[in-house]
Amino acid sequence: MASNKAIPALTGSESSSSVVRPTLVESTRVPWHIWCSVVAVTSAMIGAHWDISWHMSIGRDTFWTPAHMAIYLCGVLAGISCGYLILSTTFGGRVDAQESGVRIWGFRGPLGAFMAAWGGIAMITSAPFDNWWHNAYGLDVKILSPPHVVLITGILAVKLGSLILILGAMNRAQGKLRDRLNALFLYIGGTVIIQAGILTAEHTWRGAMHSASFYRVVALAIPLPLVAVSKASGRRWASTVVTTVYTAFCLGMLWILPLFPAEPKLGPVYQRVTHFIPLPFPLLLIAPAIALDLLRPRIASWNPWRQAFVGGTVFLLALIAVQWPFADFLMSPLSRNRVFGTHYFGYNDVAGFFYDPNQFVALEKTRSQFWIGMAVAFLLAIITTRIGLAWGKWMEQIRR
Amino acid sequence: MTQSLKHNVRTRVGFGLCVRSWFSTGIRRPIFIPLLLILIPTAGAHVGSPDVFFEGNAGPYHLYVTIRVPQVIPGVAQVEIRSQTNDIHEVRITPTNVTGPGSKFPPVPDRAQPSKEDPQYFTGSLWLMEFGPLQVRIHADGSRGTGELGVPVPAFARRTLPMQKPLGVLLVALMLFLAVGAVSIVAASVREGKLELGAAPAPSTLRRARTVTRFTSVLVLAVIYLGKMWWDSEAAAYNRRINLFKPQEAVATLAAGGRLVLRARAEDPEWSKWVKPEELIPDHNHLMHLFLIKLPDMDRMWHLHPQRTEGGAFVQQLPTVPAGHYQIFADIVDKYAFPWTLVGQLDLPEVLGKPLDGDDSEGSGPPISSGAKNPTVVELRDGVRMVWVRDAAPLRANVPMSFRFRVTDRDGKPVQDLEPYMGMPAHAAFVRSDLSVFAHVHPAGTVSMAALELAQASLPGSVAPEANMHAGMTMSSAPLPAEVSFPYGFPQPGLYRIFVQIKRAGRVGTGVFDAHVE
Repeated sequence: MASNKAIPALTGSESSSSVVRPTLVESTRVPWHIWCSVVAVTSAMIGAHWDISWHMSIGRDTFWTPAHMAIYLCGVLAGISCGYLILSTTFGGRVDAQESGVRIWGFRGPLGAFMAAWGGIAMITSAPFDNWWHNAYGLDVKILSPPHVVLITGILAVKLGSLILILGAMNRAQGKLRDRLNALFLYIGGTVIIQAGILTAEHTWRGAMHSASFYRVVALAIPLPLVAVSKASGRRWASTVVTTVYTAFCLGMLWILPLFPAEPKLGPVYQRVTHFIPLPFPLLLIAPAIALDLLRPRIASWNPWRQAFVGGTVFLLALIAVQWPFADFLMSPLSRNRVFGTHYFGYNDVAGFFYDPNQFVALEKTRSQFWIGMAVAFLLAIITTRIGLAWGKWMEQIRR
Repeated sequence: MTQSLKHNVRTRVGFGLCVRSWFSTGIRRPIFIPLLLILIPTAGAHVGSPDVFFEGNAGPYHLYVTIRVPQVIPGVAQVEIRSQTNDIHEVRITPTNVTGPGSKFPPVPDRAQPSKEDPQYFTGSLWLMEFGPLQVRIHADGSRGTGELGVPVPAFARRTLPMQKPLGVLLVALMLFLAVGAVSIVAASVREGKLELGAAPAPSTLRRARTVTRFTSVLVLAVIYLGKMWWDSEAAAYNRRINLFKPQEAVATLAAGGRLVLRARAEDPEWSKWVKPEELIPDHNHLMHLFLIKLPDMDRMWHLHPQRTEGGAFVQQLPTVPAGHYQIFADIVDKYAFPWTLVGQLDLPEVLGKPLDGDDSEGSGPPISSGAKNPTVVELRDGVRMVWVRDAAPLRANVPMSFRFRVTDRDGKPVQDLEPYMGMPAHAAFVRSDLSVFAHVHPAGTVSMAALELAQASLPGSVAPEANMHAGMTMSSAPLPAEVSFPYGFPQPGLYRIFVQIKRAGRVGTGVFDAHVE
């Protein structure tokens, strides 16, 4: 179906005046800067998983490891494409581009470009901060340290910028282009879930899957981006697609990384490692995502808080229904194979020496603590769902 | 202790990456910037003397090893290896735990680089990733075959680093830029994000944008504040680890009958959980080596070996000692082979004690000099002398040296009747005049003998520990050479007193020397 609204192409033509007017060509092509963003966030995700695997398998790295290069590529691509976009919009004299942008500090450009550029600067800021941190307190392998969080925030901003960049175009587009942009939007949404999975990885290991803290962390991290992206997308199976991206990516890394040889170059070594050690099997987020997609049409007209109450509750109930028994399976010998990967341990993991990796750890000391924790998890799921709905609604209306 | 701490603090374990413990961590990227350091005098094994100096055999090759322990852990240790002979082709180094898990699978070794000028000299660097008792395994390959050696390294952090002003200014500027940028982006998104192409924001939208700007500003400030709190919390946790590895206090009291009662009093109660008196292991025959030094002149020294009693105290029946003020350095080794030195002072009245027996010994000398020439010859007894064999070159800090002492008879000939003293040809204590440095050293070097035995026993295909021991640890009853040597390097300039102890004819002789270090 032909679109009934022209997409201002970024290939302008000179008019007799000094102002460049757009050539109103109906286009189904995804703008190059959006492809740049997609490549950037993909590179960051591969780099992040690879880097973590590197630290679990080899340990020692340099500034120039391939995994680091993949992460840097995210910042470089985002910086170059968004910088160009902002500068060309500001100084290029293209009225259409200027009219589809926002104004910040005298510059004009797409909102998403500013966000991604901000993310790139945050990523750059993290480098000297991280180096100083290592000098002051020793090198760390934690995901969550202040400089690492600055870096992760930068990557997240690049992703959010990409989302907004796509949204701005998507919400102005019709037909095939809109569909294509919507698909890319859901893909980027999936990478946001992947990043949320990395951020929470230290708290979502399988030994914690029968503890309330596990569900609290998931409820805090996942519903917000999942619901927001799904609502902004408007697709019937948006949540399912987003979590499928997450699941497929994590499974791909789980199955591919161990194919490559690796040996620890740092000690002490507690586990013999001969190949890359991947991150664990992904969480079964796809189940609550399907539940949300099934639920959404039925509750779409409700009051947002009511939607959030039902949506958040259903999300967590569906997650518990599948993850709890699946955790039992992950503890069983049947899961210790290449498919589920519960036999993989990083070189510095003291599994088998100082803790049993195949036993659940009761992170709540008493039954009442557990139930209070679960109640908090439900409350968090409802609140984050509500915020996700609000954010999704805002994103639906983004034009710039 | 490493393992114990890991076990106890592991409240949330997971896959390898999230081993969050006091001691386990990893690497992100190399350190680029040499920065201004603030040194905090501290030590685990010794006092103010963290580097490891070692002399021993890797198979057929006799090696002198210096390991410069990094200031922060995880950090890079510098390893310097000198071979006595020039027939080594390659030296490889790798870190492991001294014993237990983490000692079985060494990581891929690093090749130590041979010096272009000196083929007997090799250097390399190693990441020490954990606090606690580690070892550096050295594999030597040469024309006489291969040999392996394990050198214990007590790894602990000693300082934190203040931020350099230019870097601080840069980071604050970037933080302000990001903060203002974040607020501006949010404001722009509210002001213009939903507008159709070319449309201008309505007054109500502008008002809303201003409100959101104020709210976002507060939110960003709150995030910065919370980030600062988190940073402070991380720094405090790190400093706590530093304090945990500082020399703990030795509290000494004089009980009836001239019994000196010693207890460890740790600033951090965690320390007492990991280092339990009932779990200490003997280090060359004794659970504790107590050095009692008379202050302020350091002219008298006793090397005693208190006995552990029920309740965790150590008790020593004192010999006769004059009234005065005394310094205590008490060496112990915990069950994971990590050496500690307890430090304290006490005032004693004159004690009329029992004669020295067993391995207990004493020494005396002139008051520590204050600028006088360093004596190199001291009288022991029966006309026997101890000679510090050294050239006239000044002593310099941070330079590994071999301190050689020769024992001669009244005719100046080397004596033929030296005996092992606690299994070794000699013992030495290096003490800085301000007491900020104390190192109990043997011919094998600064390492704990207990840790050395465990490290050697952990080597692949190791035989009985004594077969791998350093030549200086002798069980033989044959007469020992008249010359003893100690590998050591002064950690900082200053005036040092060196107590050197040998044994002959069943009696321990103590030579007292002074060293001015530049």
